[in-house]
Amino acid sequence: MIGLRFDTYDWNGGREAMLRFGPESGPIVIAALPLFEEANRTRQFTCTILRALADHGIGSILPDLPGTGESVVATFDAKLSDQRRAYSELAQQLNAHSYALSIRSGVLLDTDADLAGRWHLASQMGADLIRDLERIRAAVGKSDRGDEYAGNRLSPDMLAELRDAVPCEDGRYRVVRLDTDLRAADATYAGAPLWRRSEPGNDFALAQQLAADIAHWIASCEG
Amino acid sequence: MLVIFEGTSQVETTVRAVLADILGLSADRVATFTADTPLFGALPELDSMAVASVLTELEDRLGILIEDDEIDGEMLETFGALVQFAAGKALV
Repeated sequence: MIGLRFDTYDWNGGREAMLRFGPESGPIVIAALPLFEEANRTRQFTCTILRALADHGIGSILPDLPGTGESVVATFDAKLSDQRRAYSELAQQLNAHSYALSIRSGVLLDTDADLAGRWHLASQMGADLIRDLERIRAAVGKSDRGDEYAGNRLSPDMLAELRDAVPCEDGRYRVVRLDTDLRAADATYAGAPLWRRSEPGNDFALAQQLAADIAHWIASCEG
Repeated sequence: MLVIFEGTSQVETTVRAVLADILGLSADRVATFTADTPLFGALPELDSMAVASVLTELEDRLGILIEDDEIDGEMLETFGALVQFAAGKALV
């Protein structure tokens, strides 16, 4: 089985790093982590899902987007429109049936791409993300800098884009949630919301279940 | 005095589960929490950021909305106070 490797991709605004798992042919899953702190809390969990997908024979990519991960773009200069564009351009270059695997606010990143399908975990609207950020900022006490949210300096443009952002649910679409989440879902699974913990964590059993869910769904889409 | 609403035990179960899930506490540990168990200031895991996470998760699980001006030290002082606050919002 082909293991983890690092690679890069180019988009109109620059070059970004990405991880690849599994085969490079067949349907490819593009993973999008949530924005800001939740990315750190879910990265290992997401990679566990991607490794499990590789065991199902499905290749995947976890790209940095401009302003995330190893990107040279500063957080303050990050724009949702740029991130969406980079994601779309990556999908276009793959020359494969690509499927989104987007988690929490990561669902706001796959909206503009030409994809064979979207699989969303615990999908979050931009307005709810803003509400979370403002609550965190109030809880820890506002700093002098008006643009800082728990250590992340966010531009007014980014905040405005996020406020109105909603996921794309067109085409082949599947949304999965934890069984404690009251919102509509095509399936629910038992598990703790790792994105809400203070420390990064993992849930190996849940990752296996979600990978199986994605693999079966992709097989039915490719059908 | 703790005011008892009908359905409080369901809310109480949810509050226990949220504290366990968000703070990374074991189910056994949260099972020992009583109405008087001190929370904010006593549990090192429950810092300011964790408070935000706990409240947002309670909102999502109970289908309630908590306004900023409702958040004060009293509702987070003990397990009983938090359950009473959540029950008051959830069971209208």
